[in-house]
Amino acid sequence: MPKSRRTLAAAAVALILPLSACGSGDDDGGTQDASGKVEGDITFQTWNLRANFKPYFEDLIAGFEHKYPGAHVKWVDQPAEGYPDKLSADAAGGTLPDVVNVSPDLVAPLARAGLALDLDKAAASFKSAYLPGAWASHQIPGTSGTYAFPWYLNTGPLFYNKALFQKAGLDPDQPPKTYDDLFADALQMARKSDGKVATLANVPTIEDFGRYGVPLMNKEGTGFAFNDAKGVELLTEYKRLYDAKALDPQALTATPESSGKKFLTGAVAMNPGSALDLGNFKKNAPGLYKNIGITDQITSTGHANMYVMGVMVNSRTEHTPAAVAFAHFVTDAQHQMSFARKVAIFPSTAGSLDDPYFTEEDGTDETRVRIAAAKSLKNAVNYTPVLFSDQMKTALRNEVAKALQGKESPKEALDNAVETADRLLRQG
Amino acid sequence: MATPLRIKRQRLFSPWLFAAPGLLVTGTFVLYPFVSTLVNSLTDRRTLLPGHFVGLANFRELLHDDMFWTGLRNSSLYVLGVVPALVVLPLLLALLVQKNIPGITFFRSAFYTPVVASIVVVGLIWVWLLDERGLVNSLLETVGIGRVGFLSDQWLLLLSAMAVTVWKGLGYYMIIYLAALANVPRELHEAAAVDGAGPVRRFLSVTVPAVRSTMVLVAALSSVAAFKVFSEVYLMAGPSGGPAGEDTTLVMLVQRTGTGLTGRVGYASALSVVVFAVTVVLMLLVLRADRREET
Amino acid sequence: MSVLEKVRPERPATVPREPRVTDGHGRRIRTGELALRYLLLLAVLALTVGPFLWQLSTSLKGHTEDIYSSPPSFLPGHPTLHNYARVADTVPVWDYALNSLKVATANVVTNCVGSALAGYALARLRYRGRRVTTLVFVLAMLVPVEGIVIAQFTTMRELGLNNSLVGVVLPGAIGAMNVLLMRNAFRNLPYEIEEAAYVDGADVWQRFLRIALPSVKGTLAVVAIFAFMGAWDDFLWPLIVLSDPSKFTLTIGLNYLHGTFAGDERLVAAGTVIAVAPLIALFACLQRYFFRGVGEGAVKG
Repeated sequence: MPKSRRTLAAAAVALILPLSACGSGDDDGGTQDASGKVEGDITFQTWNLRANFKPYFEDLIAGFEHKYPGAHVKWVDQPAEGYPDKLSADAAGGTLPDVVNVSPDLVAPLARAGLALDLDKAAASFKSAYLPGAWASHQIPGTSGTYAFPWYLNTGPLFYNKALFQKAGLDPDQPPKTYDDLFADALQMARKSDGKVATLANVPTIEDFGRYGVPLMNKEGTGFAFNDAKGVELLTEYKRLYDAKALDPQALTATPESSGKKFLTGAVAMNPGSALDLGNFKKNAPGLYKNIGITDQITSTGHANMYVMGVMVNSRTEHTPAAVAFAHFVTDAQHQMSFARKVAIFPSTAGSLDDPYFTEEDGTDETRVRIAAAKSLKNAVNYTPVLFSDQMKTALRNEVAKALQGKESPKEALDNAVETADRLLRQG
Repeated sequence: MATPLRIKRQRLFSPWLFAAPGLLVTGTFVLYPFVSTLVNSLTDRRTLLPGHFVGLANFRELLHDDMFWTGLRNSSLYVLGVVPALVVLPLLLALLVQKNIPGITFFRSAFYTPVVASIVVVGLIWVWLLDERGLVNSLLETVGIGRVGFLSDQWLLLLSAMAVTVWKGLGYYMIIYLAALANVPRELHEAAAVDGAGPVRRFLSVTVPAVRSTMVLVAALSSVAAFKVFSEVYLMAGPSGGPAGEDTTLVMLVQRTGTGLTGRVGYASALSVVVFAVTVVLMLLVLRADRREET
Repeated sequence: MSVLEKVRPERPATVPREPRVTDGHGRRIRTGELALRYLLLLAVLALTVGPFLWQLSTSLKGHTEDIYSSPPSFLPGHPTLHNYARVADTVPVWDYALNSLKVATANVVTNCVGSALAGYALARLRYRGRRVTTLVFVLAMLVPVEGIVIAQFTTMRELGLNNSLVGVVLPGAIGAMNVLLMRNAFRNLPYEIEEAAYVDGADVWQRFLRIALPSVKGTLAVVAIFAFMGAWDDFLWPLIVLSDPSKFTLTIGLNYLHGTFAGDERLVAAGTVIAVAPLIALFACLQRYFFRGVGEGAVKG
């Protein structure tokens, strides 16, 4: 259902019973040892994958249980909304499943509270099986160790509407390649369409600053740094776009869904997406599909942005060997590859991206998008710092909005955002 | 009031047996957690990390938190915007459906439908209706007014959320008024009609005084609910509270600061305590105003 | 049938039974006024029910139909249940609806029994600590529920009831608001009847079961509807307390649509219709009792 529902989890989180479930760095007990016999009942929790991939996971589990007859896996899947609330209740209440689907920003607080197993200790031998960048994405500045197996990766191209480009006097076959091109094209689009067609639909997020080449944190990982000259430059450009309506006037309240819809209906000329979206265009906006242009993400760094999913092992599990074995089983090359064939995601295992599936054209757009994405993933970066919490994201979003509305200068806005984020970081 | 029901033996345990289940559930699942919130408000506890006693530091921090003042402003505006509408409109609606004309039962039930639907469903319906390309804007465009950014402008967003609150509350308070109107002696109306008072005069001089205590009750209930508003604004303005967070309400701020794996439980608890204190004061104010008028 | 007839009058002597037709005060209504009334009624009807019908209409529109058209098309051109089928394919709607039904029914039973008992004690029994007990329920009503979810969860886990439907029901099993509603209903009953029973030697349980309870059926219906609605509509608590998808309730289950069909208004509309239709049906069945009940209990603060 809709955006809303992370309902009233409120204040509420208010009370976790004292110490009953928390406490950091509790490395006691022999449970860190993953070398025993793989047996026992474990629970595996995924994040909104049941609706579309039920047979895949059932087969996967059957395969594991066949391989290790003493082990039994119970699969639970949680809906998209409210996942962090569900995790925090379970973490606080001591009911976290044994193997959990996480993203880097979710694993960071769990690791700091000592609830995530350090795989550098428990499963170091598997490290070489994954892409180095993917393995590193679940490491946390200020702590040593790696706290989740990398699972699937995602990245995608930039889609643009060739018809709108043509109408604005832009060459539909020469999409912008650099930020300078992008800003110039966007201004022209707004001018030619009388402000009716915007080129961008979203305000800049932390990963946009990263892609623009802004250093997000200081070298030690102890403070944020995106308020430097380069950051201010990016926000100043966005302010210009916003004033010219080249950035959609409703960008301040946009969600990924709403901006996707705007692209679909031709109110916005460019939108980031993934291979998954092509099918959606084909079905819901055949007119757009005929005119769809596909180009690479624009970066100043040469590294595209990627999203990483991980699989974490609960450090309190009673069956460490089984949990570690299963987490690895889910994320090994063979199973990631078969998952990738089902849906437009990419494996994080070493060598998988060289599979013909990711290198050989077959003339369709889907394949072209897939191949380009796989290529860009080889040196892609997860720009969003793992320590950048939801509260920090909201603070940045609100300060950026104030700058765009002209209530603050870009410099003031970013200074404020960095100050808030640093304060939250220190308290964390 | 004198009561004849006194038998010593019964008095000893029966009443407690009657009240026990209710007390047990309320105590375990409402009051005990709330007491923990009070305790937590004096600590710097985080979702996954135990806290230390910090005295009133959280409350001091509140005073310097711009978002707190934004939230206080919006929650207060919400009370001012919603309460008068919810005191008056349902009364008018009750007068409209009071008369026993054919088909009226259907209308009464139909007017109650928005109360029955969950707030999430209601939020979804209205987000879709007020969407930039939704029904309301299609209609506005058809009649030549043009599209309005109900869900993108700071003030329009807050107003739209208030409208939804009123829309959902109409039927609920209508029923309360209906019951109260049933107790208004008709002689009063007839006497006023004989005096030549028009409908408006009759409304002001007969109906309003007769249901005044119910109006106070409605004011009390709706102001407490309005000050604690969360869902309507959260659903329509989004989790970050509209453009630049300017539509954030206090309870939204509680939710935002306190939840998730990095939630600041201590600070959010302090916010909850403030919300609780303000609602108690609101309740007392309304009741006090009532008492003063009576004397 | 009118509310006026159903409402148990405060002082039966002063409000005689109304003749049918005519208005609430027994006067005839002029035709012009009648027309105006119906006009207003229809206008309000469009406002209150219209949005639901628009949602229903959206959910019945096929994929080829433009749902954003201007002027809008109110009726689906080719009504289809396709969207409902897709929702049912994605989410085991029936299993989840059954869980919701179990939870909501249990919630109705516990609330009716628990608040009737407690309400009777507060209204009718004299004992030391009655004021304090009342205060407990009033305060409980003011506590921001949003603030205590995690604490409820840890308590539930200590009781070993997390990830069970019992755990879903318990925190709302006896709502403070319902207790106060029942208290008001009992208080409005005349003392005389119970007094007679008392003289006849009926003990407190007999008086409660045979005399007091049957007189507040209307308020019980209100409590039942509130309890059913509350349990059926709740999202956050079941999400937190349940881990096992086979135990999910419908509201959580429908949330799967979000991540899966982001942005397809037709499917979201179908999901909301599925979520709200049972409630409207239930209410339609119980509304007679309901309107009477509100008259009995809710008026006096």
